[in-house]
Amino acid sequence: MRPFRALVVLATAVAIVSPLALILYQSFLDAPFFQPSAHLSLEAFQFVFTDSDFHQSFARTLVLAAGMAAIAVPFGSALAFLVVRTDLPGRHSLEPLLLIPIFLSPVVLAFGYVVAVGPVGFFTVLSKELFGGAPWNLYTLGSITVIAGLTHIPHVYLYVSATLRSVASDLEEAASIAGAGPLRIATSVSLPMVWPAIVSSGVLVFFLGFEMFGLPLILGDPEGILVLSTYLYKLTNRLGVPSYQLMAVVAVVIMAIAFPLVFLQRRLLGVAARFVSMRGKGMARRPLPLGGFRWVAFALVVLWLIVTVGVPLSGALLRSLVTSWGEGVRLTEVLTLEHFKDLFDYPNLVRGIVNTLVIGVVGGALSVACYAAVALVSHRSQSVWTKAIDYLVMLPRGMPGLVAGLAFLWLFLFFKPIAPLRSTLFSVWIAYTVVWFAYGMRLISSALIQVGPELEEAALVAGASQAQVARNITLPLIRFGLLGSFLLVFMIFVREYSTAVYLLGPGSEVIGSLIVSLWATGAVDAVAALSVIDVVLVGAGLAIALRLGVRLHE
Amino acid sequence: MTRCALVAAVVVTLAALPRPGRAADASVVSAAEKEGKLVVYSTTDSAIVSALIKDFGAAYPKIPLEYNDMNSTELYNRFISEAAAGAGSADLLWSSAMDLQVKLASDGYAQEYKSPESSHLPSWAVWKDQAFGTTYEPIAFVYNKRLVKAEEVPKTHAELGKQLKEHPDRWKGKVTAYDPERSGIGFLLITQDSKLDPAFWETAKTFGTVSVKLYTSIGAMLERITSGEHLLGFDIFGSYATARQRKDPSLAIIYPKDYTLVMSRVAVLPKAAKHPNAGKVFLDYLLSKRGQELVAKAALFSIRDDVQGETTSASLQKELGQVLKPIPVGPDILDSLNQKKRLDFLKKWQQAIGTK
Repeated sequence: MRPFRALVVLATAVAIVSPLALILYQSFLDAPFFQPSAHLSLEAFQFVFTDSDFHQSFARTLVLAAGMAAIAVPFGSALAFLVVRTDLPGRHSLEPLLLIPIFLSPVVLAFGYVVAVGPVGFFTVLSKELFGGAPWNLYTLGSITVIAGLTHIPHVYLYVSATLRSVASDLEEAASIAGAGPLRIATSVSLPMVWPAIVSSGVLVFFLGFEMFGLPLILGDPEGILVLSTYLYKLTNRLGVPSYQLMAVVAVVIMAIAFPLVFLQRRLLGVAARFVSMRGKGMARRPLPLGGFRWVAFALVVLWLIVTVGVPLSGALLRSLVTSWGEGVRLTEVLTLEHFKDLFDYPNLVRGIVNTLVIGVVGGALSVACYAAVALVSHRSQSVWTKAIDYLVMLPRGMPGLVAGLAFLWLFLFFKPIAPLRSTLFSVWIAYTVVWFAYGMRLISSALIQVGPELEEAALVAGASQAQVARNITLPLIRFGLLGSFLLVFMIFVREYSTAVYLLGPGSEVIGSLIVSLWATGAVDAVAALSVIDVVLVGAGLAIALRLGVRLHE
Repeated sequence: MTRCALVAAVVVTLAALPRPGRAADASVVSAAEKEGKLVVYSTTDSAIVSALIKDFGAAYPKIPLEYNDMNSTELYNRFISEAAAGAGSADLLWSSAMDLQVKLASDGYAQEYKSPESSHLPSWAVWKDQAFGTTYEPIAFVYNKRLVKAEEVPKTHAELGKQLKEHPDRWKGKVTAYDPERSGIGFLLITQDSKLDPAFWETAKTFGTVSVKLYTSIGAMLERITSGEHLLGFDIFGSYATARQRKDPSLAIIYPKDYTLVMSRVAVLPKAAKHPNAGKVFLDYLLSKRGQELVAKAALFSIRDDVQGETTSASLQKELGQVLKPIPVGPDILDSLNQKKRLDFLKKWQQAIGTK
């Protein structure tokens, strides 16, 4: 076990530190690091820190991230409690729907909202006709925050529900027998038991707010609302020639935010032993009756689904079926199926779909294996190195997509031993795995925290090796954490592309990149059609996976 | 036997016939066929030029083409990084960021090549046999035909300024343009405007009064104009607008009668190419009559003098003549990459439209 532990820690550190070190180094130079004219300098920091756009976008990003977490965490936790623990109507068939916002490309999501509830969106036009006005404005920081918050509820849901599933429900049943209502049980019993998952997901969602790009780009454009990631975009152009040192500075600033966050997380969780709730006893479970609240809860969940999935998707679907929309258009005159037909002429479409599924399913599974290995070796280890890993894994997501893409391109270009891998799906996989490390691993480690040490100790006493304990005791106990982690990673990988933008080429294109490149050239027809196909494919895959997953484990 | 001979004779005859679209020098072609591959980095989406790509494949089956589409910043970043790593890079760079392409040439990244086709190009389109303009794309005003009345439509830059100034309420939040701060091509176009339009800064101020909406992507602008969220677009690529108009008739295009800017997608053959001859073959093909006919078909506007029909420089010349003001491929446009000048211009622009 010891050499294995050392190897895992070392490999993780190398994979994570190398892109970060490169970006850090670049931030202290005055030219691209590969040019002979580059010198050490603090100019880039000076430029960014004295730029009023930076101050403004930094403040906005803080508001956005905090607002997002404030919406996503309570609602996501409540949703997990409702689906996992109670007799909420239709909870099994709802689950694939709940997860759609995770894999929807943010470009599609934002654009769907524009078509549906933008200034001339069809719901807006309808509302104007019926009530003489529309009481919303899509293009404000408030709207962006609410949409971001609502669409990140599923992230929190995944973390909390995966953990909740592994917790025995005897305490809840006891509370129920003692006369506590569902709300009381949720807030005093169930959710406190999965506190580690709630805290982790809150920290991760907050951090995602710093990196989010597509949503603020499209919804912030008309009013010029800049957040850090879109400010970065502006920086790449402000001086005409891309200035890597400036981009690196912004990435370094975001990474610096990760440190207090992880520290806060460790403080909030305190001694992990408090959360041990999975001990050596049975786990029979029966759904808690919600009583009269049952249909109210159902109505709330459906309302949320309508707002976060129904509205944008109906926008995208409508857009894929018309040649024109908006003020003064009679939809019956512009209906068409041409966009779907045209899409099939698109070169490499099928390969893009296949690659996306390969990177999602196979890549996702491999990544989860890596994350599980790291989580296992840090579990119960008190060494400084494993604590350092806790901080390290957060950092890569501090690089916004634009910067992460360059960092990985440079690694695969300038570090010769891995250069031959550059234009393969493997390089794309490594980039994705590193960037989403914290997000996949936290799910597994919050499940691990709950496993009581006596189970493992019993096996050790009985003569099992460390490897046998992991294989036969620990891993089976955290199977819901692993499954949840796989679902999350699968969906994120299906949507992701910006991290690998410079590694993708003919043969390794993915749907995410097709959507963005089509968007850039104005082929909105194709974007809409492609995103409809994307949602149908991934949604169907997800429904099947959940079916199989549930059968396997219950 | 006779059948065999017949087949052989047919094969020989077919091989001897000029194949469709072949343009380049035979020795370059055979060298390229030995290289056996061609890598192009392009900002032109492969969906738009799929006919061109297919036709090239038919003409040169022994030079398989790997066409990578990406945005102009990505293209520039990827290329200079690859060149610095000595890892070999694309054989041809084809980008709408004219200034970045000329910069690559002036920084010594480009090979010199005398293309046999360049005699058919206007002289402003070829710089030192290192950077080649390949299209002739007029820059237009576009508007929503459903919602804008004919008498409201400006025909010149002066009329645009006047229209906005006289009816600020009508146009409030309804005018859209590239954001010169966030879009490289937007910056290039608007600096040209500032040189050609004597009332430019006046108009910029008017943009401020009607709260012009500034975007980074052409798709976002065209979509919002045709939906009626905005009504009028300034400095819009005539090429993309024409392609859009073919599908959605509610979009109308105006080429201003005082001056119409023309931009050109610039091709560069990098020194770092792995298959230098293949790059040359593609350049010759792209500039050939056949290639340019397909460029016109893709609504990218042919630049050759001998290609006729819609979306060609010939048809534009007939319609607009001296009004056309091509942005020359050459060191003049590098001005826009000068940091000091760029920041000064942007500051003046922000002050004019009132965002700072």
